Amino acid sequence: MKMMVNLTMLFNTGLAAYFCAMVCAVTGLMSRRIIFDRIANGLIIVGVSVQSVYLGMRWVDAGRAPFSNMFESLVLFGWTVSVVYLLLRLRTRIPWLAAASAALSALALAHASTYESDIRPLMPALQSNWLSFHVMTCFLGYGAFAISAVAAAGYLISSRRASTVQTETRQTLETIVAQTISFGFLFLTLGILTGAVWANSAWGTYWSWDPKETWSLITWLIYAAFLHFNFIRGWRGRRASWISIIGFVSVLFTYYGVNFLLAGLHSYAKQ
Amino acid sequence: MSETPETNRAIKPGRGNPVTRLLGSLVFALTVVLLLALACIAGTLVPQGTQVESYLAQPGGHPVLGVLSALGLTRMFYSWWFIGLLFALAASLMVCTGRRYRAISRVTGAARLRVVGSFITHVSLLLVLAGGMVRVIWGQKGVIQFHEGQAVNSVESNEGAMPLSFSIRLVKFELEFHEKPETSAAPMEKLMVEWAEKNLLVQFPVDLNVEHSVAAADSGASSAFKVTVLRHLADFSVDSETGEVRARSEAPHNPALQIRIVGSGVTNTQWVFARFPDFGGEPGSGAAMPLRFRYYSAPAEESGNRGTIKSFKSMIEVIENGSVAATRTIEVNASFSWRGYTFYQTSYNPDDLTWSALQVVRDPGVPIVYAGFVLMMAGLTMVFCVGPWLAGQGRTAGEVP
Repeated sequence: MKMMVNLTMLFNTGLAAYFCAMVCAVTGLMSRRIIFDRIANGLIIVGVSVQSVYLGMRWVDAGRAPFSNMFESLVLFGWTVSVVYLLLRLRTRIPWLAAASAALSALALAHASTYESDIRPLMPALQSNWLSFHVMTCFLGYGAFAISAVAAAGYLISSRRASTVQTETRQTLETIVAQTISFGFLFLTLGILTGAVWANSAWGTYWSWDPKETWSLITWLIYAAFLHFNFIRGWRGRRASWISIIGFVSVLFTYYGVNFLLAGLHSYAKQ
Repeated sequence: MSETPETNRAIKPGRGNPVTRLLGSLVFALTVVLLLALACIAGTLVPQGTQVESYLAQPGGHPVLGVLSALGLTRMFYSWWFIGLLFALAASLMVCTGRRYRAISRVTGAARLRVVGSFITHVSLLLVLAGGMVRVIWGQKGVIQFHEGQAVNSVESNEGAMPLSFSIRLVKFELEFHEKPETSAAPMEKLMVEWAEKNLLVQFPVDLNVEHSVAAADSGASSAFKVTVLRHLADFSVDSETGEVRARSEAPHNPALQIRIVGSGVTNTQWVFARFPDFGGEPGSGAAMPLRFRYYSAPAEESGNRGTIKSFKSMIEVIENGSVAATRTIEVNASFSWRGYTFYQTSYNPDDLTWSALQVVRDPGVPIVYAGFVLMMAGLTMVFCVGPWLAGQGRTAGEVP
């Protein structure tokens, strides 16, 4: 009971940190004062740190990786979005990206709070060390694709107002779109492959055209097409941004839509 | 993150014959990828598999499903045209792989590492497709269903019985459950008391002959009540001859509490029923009783120690030449391999816990596919991590990337 109270407190603290970070970042954008941007980034670091402790405590409490249902995966998604943003922040600074990533993380946690947060025992198929590798790698990919889609949307909006947004900023956004997709593609591939190895060890088939597997492949094909266009044809700008957004729509359907609309091996994920 | 002009020039198509040029073109490759993606989307939206076909076999089967089945859309991933698309992808990959191989010698430095990574990635995709083809051609898959003590030496598959060179005997099947959390392991019983006009709701444990006080914050001692549980019956009934209240059985078919309420000048005794909350809730004396009672009693199955299924496992023996050659326990995520066959715990019967079903797979393509997986990660790491890092180092050192 004591552990549950602490977990709830940590969850709420993380959510509050992301929400305040979003407010600060938006205030910074409107007032054009850099101090708000710094506070926003500090709050995102606080949010990620608190969430890391939360995930760790839940892992210890449950005796397994806390990635087995909709609540836990949404918490992980919020965490990966902010982690990818912070990694990106080490190299580049775009204030509204802080607002967008904090908003995404806060939204993920707020939505997670609508699901049952009780720690439940795992069904036999999920009792495997592959669970943590598979889910963690997939969600690092999802987090990167989310940041890429946000940057792509920012590029599309800013390219309509070319006179007010600096060319340098748009070029930075183009680079972010390509870099985050490369990062996400690496991790999504690893996630799909670890899932295939796990499926083979559990059921004797590494690929069974389950809806989740199939939609992961669709997402992978979309981003593979992006990388080919980007690498070989040098596609950047608006066309690359649109592919990034289409790719993220596919990610959302893979993660969310499949759980609720299509039955399959991953049906437990909607609980 | 886009390729350097040097890399692009190196992997551009040469002057091959028209077929090679077509297969190696980006437009062809991406058209195949697009068609595969669209087919995959359709494959997740249209019902797939044998259930659809058995439904169609019934008189008056759905006409739309009939059309979809005729087009091969209800067994999409095994249809000739989907497999044809995979072959087209493989052909395109082969040409592109050859081009990247030739390009390796034309570039230097970090760009060379990226081309090597790209080459390895394309080879890995070919290996995965090749492994899948080996599975389709030489793989075997079936099911063993048996009871405890029974030995079988063949596997049921879609192609009929598949003989094994050994026998498998089910020694024992076990079903394990998670223990329920301690908080819910104990019987859940409580008496809830509502004092509506004081906006008060309190609850007490069901302890016999223990007096509990019910008082609102603004009430004096004169308006407080004392509530005591006098009797607890798991299965309330009234003897039709004597009129005496008694327990019909120990099973919680009709749990009831007899309670005494003392306060505000009244003394009342009444029964409260878990299954019939509105019956007997009013005091029988007709006195003005502001309290209402609810008795909550969790059913036996809810308060038992048995939780969700933790594992199901089969203890088996492999019998070769009349003697036991191996003994293993097979469960989900813990398979067992013998003579090229792998056995997976797949099913059980909750109504007959002496029965178990194992999936049996013989897939010589797995090592090829796994080699593809390893190479894919190695190739992508070279393209996305090592190549750019080396390019960055080169820039730092003043080298032209």
